[in-house]
Amino acid sequence: MTIGARIPRVEDARFLRGEGRYVADLAMPFMVEAYVLRSPYPHAIIRSIDASEALKLEGVEAVFTAADVPADLGPIVCRIPTHGDLSPYLQHPLAQDRVRYVGEPIAVIVAKSRAICEDAAELVEIDFDPLPAITSPYRAIEPNAEPIHEAGNLAGDWGFDLGNVEEALKSAAYTVQESFSVQRHTAMPMETRGLLASYDRGRNLLEVHGATKVVHTNRNMLAGMLGMSEQDIRLVEPDVGGSFGARGEFYPEDFLIPFAAKRLCKPVRWIEDRVEHFGAINHSRDSDFVVTVAADENGIITAFDVKLVTDMGGYIRTHGDVVPSHAAACFPGPYKVRNYRINTKTVMTNKTPTGTYRAPGMFEANFARERAIDRLADKMGLERAELRRRNLIPAEMMPWHVGTESVKRPTIFDSGDYPAVFEKALAGYGWDAPFEREENGWLRGRGLCAFVEPSGLGAFEGVRLEVDQRGNVTIFSGSSNQGQGHETVLAQIVSSIIDVPVEKIAVRHGDTGIITFGGGTYASRTAVLCGEALYNASHGIRDKALKTASAKFNIPVEELELREGAVWQAGKNEPLITLGGIARILMPGNPEFLKPPSDKNIPDHDGLVVTSYIRGVPGGTWAFAVHIADVLVDPRTGETKVEKYFVACDVGRQLNPLIVEGQLIGGVAQGLGGTFLEELTYSEDGQLTTGTFADYMMPNVYNMPPVSTLVLEDVKPEGNVLGVKGVGEIGPSGVAAAIGNAIADALKSNTGLNILPFTPERVLSAVPTVTR
Amino acid sequence: MKPAPFEYFAPRTLDEALDLLESEGSEARVIAGGQSLVPMLALRLARPEVLIDLNRIPELSRIRQEGSTIHIGAMTRQAHALASSLVFEQLPLLHYGLQNVGHPPTRARGTLGGSLSHADPAAETPAVMLAYKADMVLKSKQGERIIPADEFTLGTFDTAIEPGEILAEIRVQAKPNEGAALVELSRRKGDFAMASAAARVSLAADGTCAEAHLIVGAVAPVPLRFDAVTDALKGQKFSEAVVREALELMDLELFEFDNEDISLEYRRKIGPVMAERALLQAFKRAEGMQK
Ligand SMILES: Cc1cc2nc3c(=O)[nH]c(=O)nc-3n(C[C@H](O)[C@H](O)[C@H](O)COP(=O)(O)OP(=O)(O)OC[C@H]3O[C@@H](n4cnc5c(N)ncnc54)[C@H](O)[C@@H]3O)c2cc1C
Repeated sequence: MTIGARIPRVEDARFLRGEGRYVADLAMPFMVEAYVLRSPYPHAIIRSIDASEALKLEGVEAVFTAADVPADLGPIVCRIPTHGDLSPYLQHPLAQDRVRYVGEPIAVIVAKSRAICEDAAELVEIDFDPLPAITSPYRAIEPNAEPIHEAGNLAGDWGFDLGNVEEALKSAAYTVQESFSVQRHTAMPMETRGLLASYDRGRNLLEVHGATKVVHTNRNMLAGMLGMSEQDIRLVEPDVGGSFGARGEFYPEDFLIPFAAKRLCKPVRWIEDRVEHFGAINHSRDSDFVVTVAADENGIITAFDVKLVTDMGGYIRTHGDVVPSHAAACFPGPYKVRNYRINTKTVMTNKTPTGTYRAPGMFEANFARERAIDRLADKMGLERAELRRRNLIPAEMMPWHVGTESVKRPTIFDSGDYPAVFEKALAGYGWDAPFEREENGWLRGRGLCAFVEPSGLGAFEGVRLEVDQRGNVTIFSGSSNQGQGHETVLAQIVSSIIDVPVEKIAVRHGDTGIITFGGGTYASRTAVLCGEALYNASHGIRDKALKTASAKFNIPVEELELREGAVWQAGKNEPLITLGGIARILMPGNPEFLKPPSDKNIPDHDGLVVTSYIRGVPGGTWAFAVHIADVLVDPRTGETKVEKYFVACDVGRQLNPLIVEGQLIGGVAQGLGGTFLEELTYSEDGQLTTGTFADYMMPNVYNMPPVSTLVLEDVKPEGNVLGVKGVGEIGPSGVAAAIGNAIADALKSNTGLNILPFTPERVLSAVPTVTR
Repeated sequence: MKPAPFEYFAPRTLDEALDLLESEGSEARVIAGGQSLVPMLALRLARPEVLIDLNRIPELSRIRQEGSTIHIGAMTRQAHALASSLVFEQLPLLHYGLQNVGHPPTRARGTLGGSLSHADPAAETPAVMLAYKADMVLKSKQGERIIPADEFTLGTFDTAIEPGEILAEIRVQAKPNEGAALVELSRRKGDFAMASAAARVSLAADGTCAEAHLIVGAVAPVPLRFDAVTDALKGQKFSEAVVREALELMDLELFEFDNEDISLEYRRKIGPVMAERALLQAFKRAEGMQK
């Protein structure tokens, strides 16, 4: 059994040797490079585009504008359900007559090199009629605001109203009301996006390398937009240097580059550079909350009343409104609060469109809720852990139906013993242990937060498992891999069931040419869904191998067993036949089974191959987690130093503890970035002012505290056969909340620290004057 | 992110470089370590038609001592100067300043002259040179000009270097027997400072302050010198209280920068804190020298 083994990732060897192959490592004969000419204006009418000078430049092959795409080409559709109809806000691959954010694609220039493209771009004459830019969602919904879309700037206005919030507020012994703001920031994968598309006109085959995340969905969308058969298009995932939810959605370029390749009948490569990435990749978060939390005199939370405003940017993309939707659906978190009301406004502005980023909606909601709960504790004079303890959903109330829904799926916390995990977390960290409050003029504080994190969402997943004549095993996965370690974990699952060493199991993924359907990678879903499909397929292989051996050797199946890659008869010390031998028997052309009288149909001669598609559980499976941190604060400058960080969670079952730990620690790093450093800012006139890594600050080694983890396997979810919960998003999800609470504790003052990121200046402004 | 087309020259001698600079006129720009210029080229914010590469001119990258003067070639790599024992012993403030300039990879290419010529208001080297009252040696076909540090840095990305000129050398008086410190606050280690302070302190035999210099950087277009503060410290033994009292004399009106993410008000709060830390640290180091 290698499920649960703490083994290093098999894919690491090639990455460490520099043998990873990313899309920019790929090239083809006669390949040309594409460049996307983007809007310099946040909001403008395009009067005319004249590319004639650009086309004259030596080396330029083509310039495509909106006039070159089919007139009936629709916008890029949203791939998931939304709250209300968001179709008026969808984005066309190329701006038609209006641009709505800086960075919006206007034309595609194709030339012999990227440098020539960029020279040509300067020669394209575009006559713009600039319009006022709106960068604030509040400004956008003022009655006199310039409409960014005909349908108006308020794209969505919806919510939930459960129980009786009014009544609860009226009868509350304590209420706290606070506003919180989570800044716009997003995924910064080390590798930017990129595509290499090639079209074989004779055979009408289009191949696109560089896809990831949801390759089947994207292939189908592309087929629709190009009017091609789905099977005439192949999307292939190379090695991918990170996605974090942002990379791999269907972006304008995912149409434009294949389109250009098809038009030119030449391989076209586009490699996004970092400056493009800042303005083109989905931005995320950018949400404001007004939270009222009410409690009775015993510290029982009686209501959450929330207003949420999310800045969606210039268009609605493939993700729709899933970010605010998750935040709204899950806001009450792990607490048994039945009176819950939220109003959500999703607002269009002249900024880059938004989408998901690791722990979408959850990082935001956890920050607002957990900071508000600390306020409440302070107001009541109740210890902060104690207040939470009194309100956690008890194990016997599982599954807990929140009463909300997101993406048309009910929010159901399926399993877990939250109070037990909470106590283990407090004990594991030593929450109650005394500590020095001051050191060399710096103040020390401790903070915690508790939350639930969804995983395993999505309708289905599929795999095919094949064993070749030599007993090598290949997993063809419908999921894709952007660096999470699937090649190791998926092999571990198969290895544990058919008893073939992990080294003999290859994992192929993210390729529409290798499996008919695939769900893809998002929402920490691969371990849960792909894991279950693989579990089934592995058992299918096992059963088929035993049945075949039974027929060949005339031994009842009950006397046979599969181990060490072979079939054995019980009690014998030589194997009967290897898995490779079985695979040979099951090959369609194997003469041994073409027994006279020959039958054209050869039943069971379809190889030692099993395909398994499984359905997802509508609500997914939810992990409960606790974050705790110790932070030092300099009350004279607002500098902070996170001294130690701790994550505790119950994940049901760990497939590979090393990878679980890596996911948690890496996630904390990302969460720290969002807490202290990362921010996509716009000037009032709509220019992105953080357009390079000089201004957009990522956390680095100096920002990283030691992180310890307590990973529990106490309660297995019943919704999947392996009993696992996803762990991809537990790391970042609670960081801002725990750190904010720790800083407030250090300052012994809970005013401020409502606005992210916590710059030194903001922290200083939260220091009470007496302390200074 | 590809530079606009340019012509490229890589002269082998200073004379050759100066010839090129004269013949190519105002369209030409020199490139040193490229750590600031290359990003600007890639973003097409800088679009020189001619690039003159100084990296192959050995005479520009030497550090030597002549009498009490240290001569530092403009093309000396920041990493080289940081590792130089001559610099550490004779110009300790430069050593501590360079520790705060970027990261090992950027220091490996970035040059001292490039940093001074680029004149980023948050850069450490102009503050250091101001603290040392260094001389900048500018060369052109017309000859040589020597500009004192306080007349060299003129404003944000603005120096006394005229078209046709390059910064060839920095001359600094050796200061082996004093304590020095450069302290700054930045969002991340290695980033440009939100406020920085450079201090030099030398002590009299009785342990009181004989001479001190204090420069605050990153708060105005040029680094600021606060002689009123250091004058008040002369003849005193340093303590937190003494230094804080002297810092009351810091004229915060001279601070200018006010951005959305770092307000003037905030800089006025942290500037004196950086100064206090730098002065106390420099004093401690000076005491250490006496022992
Ligand atoms: C990630 C990163 C972090 C950084 N952090 C800091 C920091 O914390 N503090 C800091 O001070 N700097 C920092 N820098 C800037 C870095 O120190 C640069 O190296 C320096 O500013 C420029 O030196 P250079 O040799 O690379 O010059 P270049 O980039 O080649 O040139 C810069 C400018 O100076 C001109 N120039 C160069 N040499 C001469 C000369 N001899 N005569 C006349 N003109 C000349 C060039 O024409 C150009 O205009 C950072 C840079 C990076 C990339």
